[in-house]
Amino acid sequence: MSGDHSDAAIARRVRRMETLLEEKGVLSGARLDEIIDASLSGASPANGARVVARAWTDPGYRRRLLADGTAAVRELGFMEGSYQRLRVVENTADTHNVIVCTLCSCYPLRLLGPSPSWYKSEAYRSRVVREPRTVLAEFGLELPAGTEITVWDSSAETRYMVLPRRPEGTEGLGEEELAALVTRNALIGTAAV
Amino acid sequence: MARINDVGGTVGFGAVDTADDPAPFHADWEARVVGLFNALRAEGLFNTNEFRDAIESMPPAEYLTTSYYERWFEAIRALLERKGVIEPGELDD
Amino acid sequence: MTDRFPPGTRVRTYDHDPAHHTRLPRYARGKRGVVVEPEGPAELADISAQGRGDAPLQQIYAVRFAARDLWGEGDHHVVLDLWESYLEEDPDER
Repeated sequence: MSGDHSDAAIARRVRRMETLLEEKGVLSGARLDEIIDASLSGASPANGARVVARAWTDPGYRRRLLADGTAAVRELGFMEGSYQRLRVVENTADTHNVIVCTLCSCYPLRLLGPSPSWYKSEAYRSRVVREPRTVLAEFGLELPAGTEITVWDSSAETRYMVLPRRPEGTEGLGEEELAALVTRNALIGTAAV
Repeated sequence: MARINDVGGTVGFGAVDTADDPAPFHADWEARVVGLFNALRAEGLFNTNEFRDAIESMPPAEYLTTSYYERWFEAIRALLERKGVIEPGELDD
Repeated sequence: MTDRFPPGTRVRTYDHDPAHHTRLPRYARGKRGVVVEPEGPAELADISAQGRGDAPLQQIYAVRFAARDLWGEGDHHVVLDLWESYLEEDPDER
């Protein structure tokens, strides 16, 4: 992929670390490859979108999801065996939720896939807790002045996911079609659906 | 004494670059670093909190001029040295 | 384990600046908030980050802060997950 000079130096150091760990009997290359493959397989925002579509179409599931996010996503086969907890926060006509990790970059990887670069940036992490309305406008999300905003700063073992509002005019859509409307940013709270 | 990672409310980082990047990694070595983190943690060489501590302990000027996954790499290196798995300088050319 | 701070408890975070890793961000130190609910216990990150095996298992609470109390302005709220030892009952509420 990227082959510029600065990248080549760090790439070489990473390879050297892998070689040393193998030589010292700490970690074999085969085991490392296995872990790299496993860590990304199945982590995708399509998972979160599926959860949202189910909640939009099944009131009982929506209730369970908001009461105990971890248990509800496990019903659909997600986050099995994870030590982390999931809390799903629901947007309504007059409330909006947005997620951040100001201390590092905590993120519901299993449900949303790897996080976008902006989520890990100092600009987003420093500002969204202080001026969420302005930051959301930078994403193109203009909220009415009366909307109450809650910013969830993931500072411990709970991970957060937003349950966006179901768009109007989607009454005729099935679960799969609804899931296709849900974007990663909507699950973080920097976009509406 | 709060550390450089603790940026909530800090002024001056500018506008958020909201560009989406669908590819999770921009280079293969980034994926390898994440793999090293997951593997070494699974092997019990360190826990997530020690790893975060190592990232936060970077000198502030270095932290701010280092890319996200380079910080991960430097933290893993620091932990491996602290635990005596590798010698300081052993990764140099 | 009995929770020290039931939902709705008015709490204040410690205004402490430790020399080690902690998960109480500086913007929320010495601030008043309200407990949303317990999140479930976990090993205290401050101790676990030192590679020690004796990190105590402590309840974590979701605590809601008004932006005005954090920044002196703003009409939003911020929720943080905070270990029990980061919190005390709001002394003005006793």
